[in-house]
Formats: sequence, structure tokens, C-alpha cells
Amino acid sequence: MLQFLQQLINGLSIGSVYALMAVGYSLVYSIMNFSNFAHGGVIMLGAYFGFFYLTIYKMPFIAAFAAAALTTALLAVVIERTAYKPLRDRKAPFLYFIISAMGASIFLENIVIATIGPTFRTYPQVVEKAPVAIGSLSIGRLDIMMFIISAICLGLLVYVIDHTKIGKAITATSYSTKGSALMGVNTDFIIITVFAIGGLLAGVAGVLFGMKYTVYPQIGFITLKSFIAAVFGGLGSLPGAVIGSVLLGVIETFTSGYLSSQYRDLIAFVLLITVLVVRPMGLMGKVTEDKA
Amino acid sequence: MKKTLALVLAMTMLLSIGLTGCAKKEDAAAADTIKIGWMGSLSGDQAVWGECEFNTVKMLVEEQNAKGGVLGKKIEVIGYDTKGDPQEAVNVAKRLTGQDKVVTIIGPNASGSAIPIAPVLEAAKTPDIATVATNPKVTVLDGKVKPFNFRVCFIDPYQGAAAAGYAFDVLGAKSAAILYDTGDDYSQGLTQFFEETFVAKGGKIVGKEGFKTGDVDFRPQLSKIKESAPDVIFMPYFFKEVALSSTQARELGITATLLGGDGWPSEQLISMAKDAVEGSYFVNHLDFSDPGVADYKARYKAKFSKEPEINGFLAHDAFLMFVDGITKAGEANGEKIAAALENVDVTGITGHIKIGKDTHNPEGKDAAILKIVGGNYVFQQKYAVK
Repeated sequence: MLQFLQQLINGLSIGSVYALMAVGYSLVYSIMNFSNFAHGGVIMLGAYFGFFYLTIYKMPFIAAFAAAALTTALLAVVIERTAYKPLRDRKAPFLYFIISAMGASIFLENIVIATIGPTFRTYPQVVEKAPVAIGSLSIGRLDIMMFIISAICLGLLVYVIDHTKIGKAITATSYSTKGSALMGVNTDFIIITVFAIGGLLAGVAGVLFGMKYTVYPQIGFITLKSFIAAVFGGLGSLPGAVIGSVLLGVIETFTSGYLSSQYRDLIAFVLLITVLVVRPMGLMGKVTEDKA
Repeated sequence: MKKTLALVLAMTMLLSIGLTGCAKKEDAAAADTIKIGWMGSLSGDQAVWGECEFNTVKMLVEEQNAKGGVLGKKIEVIGYDTKGDPQEAVNVAKRLTGQDKVVTIIGPNASGSAIPIAPVLEAAKTPDIATVATNPKVTVLDGKVKPFNFRVCFIDPYQGAAAAGYAFDVLGAKSAAILYDTGDDYSQGLTQFFEETFVAKGGKIVGKEGFKTGDVDFRPQLSKIKESAPDVIFMPYFFKEVALSSTQARELGITATLLGGDGWPSEQLISMAKDAVEGSYFVNHLDFSDPGVADYKARYKAKFSKEPEINGFLAHDAFLMFVDGITKAGEANGEKIAAALENVDVTGITGHIKIGKDTHNPEGKDAAILKIVGGNYVFQQKYAVK
């Protein structure tokens, strides 16, 4: 029982990292209808920005956190303008967007290797390392903090989407870009906004990830898991991304804990394929047609 | 353009005739010297290591000559740069054996370069003593020992056995758990031999959990290991994963002693997981602060005014192996030296070296056990599995 609870805590903590990353994939997908693989690269750079703001500029943690998120928001918009907008203007097929996104992702990883170097870096200690102990269960302080920050960010995002004018415009654009343009929505601006929000979340995820697992150029590799979680939950659906992530985290943990860690990815992916075969739109997805 | 090319080619030919001429003259003049070769990286990523090896060999040759050389003759060392490139290593081996006619080659340090030179050595019947090439395939291929390839360092699987022996015999551990990287040969080799040795000694493996290269979260595996409450946890992988997994283990309240191999030592490990790895042990080739190596360090520093790298220590012992081999052979003949190297039995600065006939590796060579105390690597003892 104790083992079960501890593994559940482990799973929730891993899941909440996935969730923060998965939401960024889902958000862009809901508007642009393609998987923005550059998101992983932006998360990685968010981790580096946070690290440098903390160590070189000696900013207080909250300031460094906010600055990193703003920098990645800007970066995400720059990527949209340079890598995607020219394609959109030429009405290129979706496959081209995905290739462009992969290119951007590889570019970001390699520019970091070339300029900052391939070795990993360690965040200065911000949160006390000693975990909170309840009986013989232990919960990391950083995990609690990550859980709270993820919840706040996701809550704010849901509020913005559901209760503000720009949120309504985003929802409208996600249903039909052409239709909302005809209704007077500045879709180009909406796309920039969506990328900026995705970038903000990437920065937050990057800094939290870096604090927990160190910073290195291949962080983007881990974010693939969160992409899978987003597909699992239903690409384009924000609650789906969160639920998919938490489920994936818990399933992975229980597989490692009760079966064998070798089966972890096997079971996770079999589950993913099963969900897609039975419910192609994912757990919470709405639209099914023509998405890549 | 063609004319220039022709000119350059002609010049090269002239030069090479000149050079071979010179070499021949030297041959005649230096018939009473014994030539040995050295190969390794003098440029590229590993240049620091190669330079230290070559310096060490040159220094030892001078010292040996001052003592009267070997077999009554002076030793002469000829070294070439492999650029860390296997192809270049083959060229260098051909040049050393074919043109310079050395009786033995010391180096290279990298397994990647040491493996492809075997056919050249066999054709020329010249033995080679690799320094830090730890891959088993350097000396043994498909179960057959390569007749002219030797090495002075222990091999990857050996470390696992040494760690297990030390844990059981010295630390008194009765149960152990292993966390290892399923995608890495180094980690798998260490794991396999740790398990075999630990079980053979009467210990119990209570948990064996794998992860995949690139993983950053080990808590599911560690939570499972915690349940089985092992005395020690063996972590045979590199310092980054060691830092993450040891920190996570302590977070989960695991108090078992942690053990590792030569993938551990790094400043990054201490900066990231100082508290988590405190009191842990790992197996290494040697310890820099071990009293047994102080003399070599001092001599090296006096001559080259810098500290030797890890490769220098092993190059030192490779040279000792050569001296012992040629003395036993009683003749400066590659084939005879190779046969004598199989019976080498010397005490080097990195441990006692007794070459195994079927493996051409130093068998039962003492490993250095280091303990992490207050963020420093503190030497415990030389250790060999019995």
C-alpha cells in the first residue's frame, strides 16, 4: 500500500511535468493543425535562459523565472514569423509545417551545442532538497512547487480562453480560421498570441525542468513524451492534454514499479496505439479529420 | 596547375628518398639501440592525454638509458600522432613496424584505434601494449586471443567484479540492488559481472532495475528498490545519471551505500549531488593521491612542470611491461617479446600486472577504491577480487 502511494506520488509528479509541456503542443495544434516540434527546443532554451538569468545576472528567482518565460515567448513568436509564416502565406501543405518545425527543433539543439556546449549544467539550489515526509512517504518540495505552478498556469490559461475576448477569438479561430477571419477576427494576430502563450508555458516548463533534472541540449527529447501525452489526451484539447499527461506519468511509473522498467515504454506506447485505434481523436479530442 | 602538381609530387618523392636514406643511415649508426614505438593522439580532443603518454614514455626511456638501458643497449622511442582516427592509427602502425622497425609499440589509448591495428601487428609480428583501451575486443575477438595485442589497464567487466567483491568482502554487504542503463554496453558489462561475482560470493541481488539512455527520472525504479531494502546499490553509469539518481534516491529516503565504476569521477558530480553521494564508493584505475604514484607524479612534474593525466600512469606501466618482456625474451625480437609478454609479472604504479595467456589483459589487477568524503575523492585501498 505504501509502495502504491509512493509510486502514485512519483507518477503525479512526472505527469505534471508532462502536462505543462503537453499544453503547449495542444494549444498550437488547435489553431494551426500541425504538431509544433520546435516547442521542445523552446523549452530547452527556456531552461538555459532561466539558468543564465539566475547565475550570470544574479536575478532573484521569481524575476529570473518571469524573464525566462518572456524570453521564450518572444522566441516562439520569432520562430513562428521565420519558420511558419512564409509557409502560411504560400498556403503550403501541413507536411511542410511539420518538416519546418523539425528543422527548427534540430537547429535550436545544435546552436546550443555549438555556442554553449554539450555539457550539462546544474541550477543553483532554489528550493530546499530535503523532501516533505509523511510517515515513510516522501514528497519532494520541488515536486509540490511544480504541481502548484503548473496548476496556476493551466488555470490562468483556461480562464483566458473561456472568459476573455481574445480567448473567444482563439476558440473561434480553432474552429475555423477562414470563418473567423470573415467575422473580423485578426487571425494573424491570434496566431502570434497563441505562439506567445505557448512560449510562456515553454519557459515555465523549461525552468522547472531544469531545476529538477539539470539543463542540457537534448531536453527536447524528453518533450516527445509530452507530445505523446497530448495525442493520448486528444490533440487540440487543453483538458485532454493535462489528463493525458497525468495518466501517462502514472502508467509509466506503475509499469516501472510493478512490472519492469524495460516494459515502461512498451506499455505506454501500446496504450497510445490502442487509444488511437479505438478513439482516434484521443481521450478528450473533438475533431478527427485531416490532422497530422 | 598540372605542372605545379607534378612539381610538388616530384619534390615529395625526392624528400622521401632523402628521408628513407637518412633513416637507413641512422639504422646503421644506431644498430646498438633498441627501437620502440609509441602511438596516440597528439592533436584533436584527446591531445592532452596523448601528450602526457608520450612525455611519460620519453621520460622513462631516458631514465632507463641512464641506468644502462636493456640487454646492454640504449632504447630509442619513436612516436606518431594517430589524430584519434582509427584509419590513421593503422597507417601509423604500418609506418612504425615497416619503416622504423620497432620491436614493440606502446599505445594507443582509445579502443577504437587499438582494435583495427591487430592485422598490421600480426603481419609484422610486433607486439602492442595498449594503455587505456578498456573494450574487451582490443585483445580478444570471437573468443580467440589476438597474439600481438596486450593491454595494461583492466577491462570494463572487471570493474563490476571488483565493485561486487569490495562490497561483499570489505563493506560487508549481504544484499545489493542494481540500477543500470539497458542501452549501454559499458553499463551492461559492469552489471553482469557485478551480479555474477556478488552471487558467487554468497550475496543476494534483491533488485535489478533498468533505465534507458536519456532518462532523467529514476524514482519509479528507486521506489521499488527501496522496498527490498538492499545494503548497497550499484550504479554503473556516468556521472550525470549518477548525480540525478543518487539525489532522487536520497529524496525517497534510501540510505543504502552507493557504489559505482570509473564513470563517476567528475567535478560535476560533486557540484550537483555532493550530499547525495557522500560516503559512496567507486572503482577507479588508480588514485592520484595514492602514495604509490607520488614518485612518478613528482618526476613528471619536475620535468614537464605540470600534473600528469590519468593516461600517463598507464603509459608508465605499459613501459614497465615492455622492459620486463624484453628482459625475459633476452633478445630484441618482436615475436620473442610477444611470447615473453604473456609471462609478464611486475608491480606497476597502477597495481600488480600479471598478464593472462588467454586474454592478454592484466589479470586480477588491483583496482583503486575511492570514497567520497566531504566532496573529495579519498583513496581507500588497492583491491583485487579473489
